[in-house]
Amino acid sequence: MKPTKLLLLAFLVLPTFVFSQEDSTIVEEEEDYSIYDNLDFVDGSAKRFANAKIKGISPAKLITLGYDYQMGYDMTAGMYGIHPEETATINATHGVRVEANIPVISKNNLVVQLGARVWDINYDYKDASSLTHPLHSTLANHNLRSIGLNSTIFKPLSEKAFILIQLAADMNGDFAIPEFQKLKYNRYSGAALWGKRPSDNKQWAIGVSRTYRAGELNYIPVILYNWTSMNNTWGTEILFPARAHVRYTVNPRNMLFAGFELEGNSYRVGNQSPIIRDSLDSIINELEIRRGELRFRFVYERQLIGFFWISAQAGYRVNYSYNVDNVPNGTDFYRGFFGDQPLSMQNTLTNPLYFNVSINLVSP
Amino acid sequence: MITNILKTALLIFAFSMSASAGFSQAEADKLIGVWEPSHGKAKVKVEKIGSKYYGKIVWLKEPNKPETNEPKTDQNNPDEKMRSTPLRGYRILKDFNYTGENEWSEGTIYDPENGNTYSCTIKMKDDNTIEIRGFIGVSALGRTDIWKRLQTPKK
Repeated sequence: MKPTKLLLLAFLVLPTFVFSQEDSTIVEEEEDYSIYDNLDFVDGSAKRFANAKIKGISPAKLITLGYDYQMGYDMTAGMYGIHPEETATINATHGVRVEANIPVISKNNLVVQLGARVWDINYDYKDASSLTHPLHSTLANHNLRSIGLNSTIFKPLSEKAFILIQLAADMNGDFAIPEFQKLKYNRYSGAALWGKRPSDNKQWAIGVSRTYRAGELNYIPVILYNWTSMNNTWGTEILFPARAHVRYTVNPRNMLFAGFELEGNSYRVGNQSPIIRDSLDSIINELEIRRGELRFRFVYERQLIGFFWISAQAGYRVNYSYNVDNVPNGTDFYRGFFGDQPLSMQNTLTNPLYFNVSINLVSP
Repeated sequence: MITNILKTALLIFAFSMSASAGFSQAEADKLIGVWEPSHGKAKVKVEKIGSKYYGKIVWLKEPNKPETNEPKTDQNNPDEKMRSTPLRGYRILKDFNYTGENEWSEGTIYDPENGNTYSCTIKMKDDNTIEIRGFIGVSALGRTDIWKRLQTPKK
């Protein structure tokens, strides 16, 4: 064969040999791995940052589509103007919850997440037509809704230290969609924490928060403590007082939790049919339900397929607050634990079992 | 005479093709080497197999399981058969093609800590720094890690 033909043949055939090699996950050949023990960085150094996660922690939820269901309970609406106290039975409180939390920046030295949520709470009253108290008639006819935006910023300061900032703006009320309610009634909350990540198995932080989780505005300290045992079986996921859970990991795609969550916000009512104080002077108050509830629960989370997980909760909902304040013009006030501002309505709720199920797209 | 001209043209064509391929190849092969992820718990050797790039774990900060002191295996793999496979030597980066402009894509990255495989792109920021982005479906749903190049080991 002439050299030219040989060259051409080599040129055409060589790539076929090169491309025909096969990949496998397991590398078969023996290699002396000790040569990699002491290698320096080519450019001298690498700046390390505390990771936002710890080993074994449950996966963050990017998109959630869920349904929340509280079983029957009694609600006693307190005296309001000429309206006496009235107790009503609620067959169920239920609604759809849709949430999204998307990391817009996710790097070693900064994680910024933007989120949105839409919650709907429907109060299914027994004998709704016989109720006379304006709180009952309002809730029986109009769902409470929350539409919110939030952001979480994780900024590592070093290999061990970090700060965590959470901000949220929520529109809560009995508004209709798409009428909504004025932005001046929005409720803003946030938290700032400073913490340490001493190992892959532990991170903790302390900080302060402005929160509506107990219903009304509060400024309280917060503690974060996430921990995983060395064998990955047990752990804690705590952001106290918002939530605290003990985690049992069957495997990384199958987890069980026991603990509680404090859930709530301040909801403007009377958007669609204003609630008057009494029938004599027709004073229209701007009322907000300070809804705060403790949910003691078991949670089971497991992978369905790929990055889709199911989360199922069962627990006991304990009412913390369902009182009503008059908040003229949406200008909120801080009562705290020692304030003496009068309540517009003092309401009591009995405590039912509750269930929640959601499908989630989880994060890398 | 015509045959000779054709042969010469073919040779020139073949030479120019291989030269241009060699140029982009050198650029693509910049990924080859030993890299350390930001957490510093592993070292990953990127090599070329065929026309694609693969990365295997060659070093672990904690090579043994604390409870048994035996070498760590891929115990979180959803495939039960793979759970006894040693992590050292495990290919976690697979099937990367060089797509130009210092970017390697169409590959996957495996996270042994949770047994998940993500779509992945690699972008070289400078000769000694790469950004590895693992994502689900679309790049927006992902996380980026910065890896630094280590010196070539002496054999």
